[in-house]
Amino acid sequence: MSNVESVTQAETPAAATAPNGGDGGAEKPRSLASDAWRDLRRNWIFWVAAVLVVLVVVMAAFPGLFTSADPSFCQLSRQHAGPSGSAIFGYDFQGCDVYARTIYGARNSVAIGLLATLMSGAISLVIGMAAGYFGGWVDALLARGIDIVLGIPTLLAAIVLARRLSDSEDSGFLPVVLTLGVLTWTTGARIMRSSVIAAKSQDYVAAARMLGAGHARLMFRHILPNAAAPFVVVLTILLGANIATEATLTFLGVGLRGDEISWGIDISQASQFVREAPAPLVWPALFLAATVLAFIMLGDAIRDAFDPRLR
Amino acid sequence: MRGHFPLKMAVGATAIMLLVAGCGGGGDDSGDEPFVASIGIGEPQHLIPSNTTESNGAEVLAALFTPLVDFDANNNPVLVAAESIETQDNKVWTIKLKDGFTFHNGEKVTADNYINAWNHAAYGPNGMGGSYFFERIEGYDALNPQDPDGEDGPQKAPTPATNKLSGLAKVDDLTFTVTLKEPFSGWRSVMGYTVFYPLPNAAWASEGVLKEDFEEAPIGNGPFKMKGKWEHDSKIEVEKYDAYPGEKPKVDGILYKIYQDQKAQYADLSSGALDVVTSIPIENLASAPTDLGDRFKKSPNSVFQFVGFPTFLPQYSKVEVRKAISMAINRKEITDTIFRGSQAPATSFVSPAVAGYRENSCGEACTFDPVKAKALYEQAGGPKQIKITYNADGGHKAWVDATCNQLKTNLGVDCVGVGEPKFADLLTKLEKKEDVGLIRLGWIMDYPLMENYLGPLYSTNGSSNYYGYSNPEFDNLLKLGSAAPTPEEAIKYWQQAEDILARDMPVIPLRLGQNVYGHSERVKNVEVDRFSKVDLLKLEPAS
Amino acid sequence: MFRYFVRRVLQGVLTFFGATFIVYALMFANQTDPLQALAGERPLPDNVRQALTERYHLDDPFIVQYGHYMRGLLTGDFGVSLTNRKISEMMSQAWPVTIRLAVLAMIIAVMISVTAGIISGIRRGGPFDTVTLVITLILLALPIVVLAPLAQLLFGIQLKWFPATAGADPGLFQLILPAAVLASLVIATEIRVTRASVAENLRADYVRTARAKGLSKRRVIGIHVLRNSLIPVVTLIGLDLGNLMAGAIVTEGVFNIPGVGFNLFRGIRTEDGPLVVGFVSILVIVFIVVNLVVDLLYAVLDPRIRYE
Repeated sequence: MSNVESVTQAETPAAATAPNGGDGGAEKPRSLASDAWRDLRRNWIFWVAAVLVVLVVVMAAFPGLFTSADPSFCQLSRQHAGPSGSAIFGYDFQGCDVYARTIYGARNSVAIGLLATLMSGAISLVIGMAAGYFGGWVDALLARGIDIVLGIPTLLAAIVLARRLSDSEDSGFLPVVLTLGVLTWTTGARIMRSSVIAAKSQDYVAAARMLGAGHARLMFRHILPNAAAPFVVVLTILLGANIATEATLTFLGVGLRGDEISWGIDISQASQFVREAPAPLVWPALFLAATVLAFIMLGDAIRDAFDPRLR
Repeated sequence: MRGHFPLKMAVGATAIMLLVAGCGGGGDDSGDEPFVASIGIGEPQHLIPSNTTESNGAEVLAALFTPLVDFDANNNPVLVAAESIETQDNKVWTIKLKDGFTFHNGEKVTADNYINAWNHAAYGPNGMGGSYFFERIEGYDALNPQDPDGEDGPQKAPTPATNKLSGLAKVDDLTFTVTLKEPFSGWRSVMGYTVFYPLPNAAWASEGVLKEDFEEAPIGNGPFKMKGKWEHDSKIEVEKYDAYPGEKPKVDGILYKIYQDQKAQYADLSSGALDVVTSIPIENLASAPTDLGDRFKKSPNSVFQFVGFPTFLPQYSKVEVRKAISMAINRKEITDTIFRGSQAPATSFVSPAVAGYRENSCGEACTFDPVKAKALYEQAGGPKQIKITYNADGGHKAWVDATCNQLKTNLGVDCVGVGEPKFADLLTKLEKKEDVGLIRLGWIMDYPLMENYLGPLYSTNGSSNYYGYSNPEFDNLLKLGSAAPTPEEAIKYWQQAEDILARDMPVIPLRLGQNVYGHSERVKNVEVDRFSKVDLLKLEPAS
Repeated sequence: MFRYFVRRVLQGVLTFFGATFIVYALMFANQTDPLQALAGERPLPDNVRQALTERYHLDDPFIVQYGHYMRGLLTGDFGVSLTNRKISEMMSQAWPVTIRLAVLAMIIAVMISVTAGIISGIRRGGPFDTVTLVITLILLALPIVVLAPLAQLLFGIQLKWFPATAGADPGLFQLILPAAVLASLVIATEIRVTRASVAENLRADYVRTARAKGLSKRRVIGIHVLRNSLIPVVTLIGLDLGNLMAGAIVTEGVFNIPGVGFNLFRGIRTEDGPLVVGFVSILVIVFIVVNLVVDLLYAVLDPRIRYE
């Protein structure tokens, strides 16, 4: 049975990937991108996701556009007070305006989530690709390296790293990004590696190799597009996880310092009193979920558009 | 195998369901069974009396051991295992033991049991955490020689020439004397602490060497004895000791269930799996009165919370600045809204847990008055930015943030709370004289004497004087108090010392601790004392 | 295959030493003052500090401490914690509980995520897919510090379906709730990955071929698609062990299970080097073994992958 499979596969993928892979790509090098854009323009999911992402990014950059309230003006006398004209989401445990805090929290959360995810995405792409593609001793070395990083308790490494990196005067932003970036790449790398292993043994890759394609071309032109799907998924989810992990670090005293605001901080703080006042938990969590959703949808749409086999 | 993945998984799932159905919960109490009450605690660090300075171990040891003295409702010492404790000059104390006390292995309790235990506790190389309690006894220094070139130097401290305190002497089987370095009128109260329990002969592997596994099942002289061993991270069970000569407990045994998290204790109390929770976490306090009804209780304890001003920071060197900050803090609002009544505002430098406490001894400086505070602050030229440093592992963020918010509003300054991962990190920064701003501190008494809230915290060489306060007048009054012939006279001097604090404001008193506790319907007469321990002799079955 | 296996085991030994070395170094770097951490806010008398420093070799240089530790480890002696407990005893108590918890969580996670992932992968954009997406997003947006107490409150205290806490020696029933909470940590990723790779494989040409050959849809999905889709999922299972361990720290605290996560957290908090390294050593071995099994599973799932 599996014989039949690989034989049939051998014939069709080569044909299917022809437009972007073999000879077709040589004529029109940018055809894949322009094809993808034509596809994307017609996809409503892409537009919803893109609008959401832009909205969140604007919110992070210019919070003042969305609210005139001061997120750090808090009065205990308003603790857990309900929504009102001036504070449409009500007040939290410290008597701060939940709406203002949610808007202002976007900056740290989105920036930390994006930067840390980009960093760990880059590390895992390189390591996973190299391990899966070259195999042999490179794979053995990198895979064992991944095992080592995995074996180290994240909490311990995060505490040590963040503590060593941070200077008591700064806001703790950079240490958090670096800590998350350095510690969360293992999942992506393993996924990349296994997808690459699966993809490189496909016959169209062998065919491309026989046609004289170099390592780089093979890796990024032929294997990557076919191995990217689970990787992109893991990254979009990692984005959400990173935003949440920042909160844990902050609560341990090694994350953001002083009076920095972030969704993660607010969610953890409000979770203690969720029985009394759910609103301070629900709103930042909702914004976080919507942001992650937007990135997941955007990732899905872009991946679909770039997937040669959907043509 | 290849094609049948989903089927296999389905089979696995059913198997789990069946197993689950098979494991029902079993009912536990029936009529004749001995009545065992369960109390939630955290994992004790040690169960050796002289090495127990944290509350979990102390709670268990209180069931297994009987102290020489205990304290009445007014915190005056009452004799328990001691027949009499007498002194002429507050320097030489004669302790006569009650006859009839035995250890749980049948050994008679004698003066030697105390002397040997105390010698072991005070001997430096044993590294007992409670050894500093014996500092006042003559001969302590010989057991703890100083490292000749300091801690970091290459030379090691010499081995002590002796392992016996010269200040301890046996008179007869039931009598011994304690000679102090200097007279101390409060010594009787000090001896009520956990570290002063006696140890049986069975505890020793050889002279002065404790058996390795003694703390796995300590043998004491108390109303309860160990049932089985200390099951680490799980439970410690004790049962009534029938030959106990003192007041008999009303329950047959106590099961100390060990928890990692107080919230889990409360969850078990709410679902009926635990009888007593001595400290209900803040997040449950809003619902606890409804969840528990009249089984939700409060009682004062000895905790004193405050913030200190490191003396090396020039911006807080003016007393007016310190006073203004203190006056700008609305303590009541914080204890009500952040702590939900689990703490009370502090208006003095000592806790009401000790004799000599005076309400509002801090006076105007601890009274909330934002208008006056702001005027005073501006007049004195206080800093534009205030920083409060705390340890992030102690749940202090909420009230520090709230305090900062009050200071922002009331003084018109910028204020920021900075969390250091651990208390040790805070101490490191203090040592390096970094700008930490105000530092969060707390104090739990070791023995119920006013002196315990003053000496360690504010005397020039005080062990917990982390901010470096020093006032010779204060030191002198403290010394006079300690040497005073009667406790009443001592209190007079100590109160004068406290007045100096109110004048100098080296720290801002913030809050006094309260035990907020609850119990199940199975038990009644649950009382939690000032040391946050359950009164085991009063605890009763509900029916 | 056999040579591959032997080589992996040898690599595993090196990995083991690498990881323990790094963890020991991290603990060492993290150590500001473990004795003070043990004493809390109490001042530590000099003589006590001295005695304990000598007892636990705390003032030795790093490499000497590591040497001490490794010598003990190779003779099967894990040493004692800073509270003077035998670490081997602590481990024999903690590991069985955590393994039970982790395996149960893994079973729950795989059952739910493979089923849901396949269905939503086949019917992408359908109502089931949308609902699953929303649920996974909620799980993702709620950190486990929120989720665990919430589940305990709802199912343990209010509905009383499960016991509120599990304790030191829990049965399978007591573990279901904490295991489900733990599983939720990895379910989001696993569903999404399964879904993506099912969708991917459905479009693969061999599926078209198989369909064209006249195989029933059920057979195509059940055999071809499923097997090929499971590769990334199987990979994740190996990795998720790490996530589960991180989640176990919170979950074990909430449900009062004195397992590995709890001991690690305690060790890190009290800067107890031997305790942490002891637990991590075993943890690394578990990772090595699981990842070896995962790699061998690839070969079973995908005949195109060969190890030599």
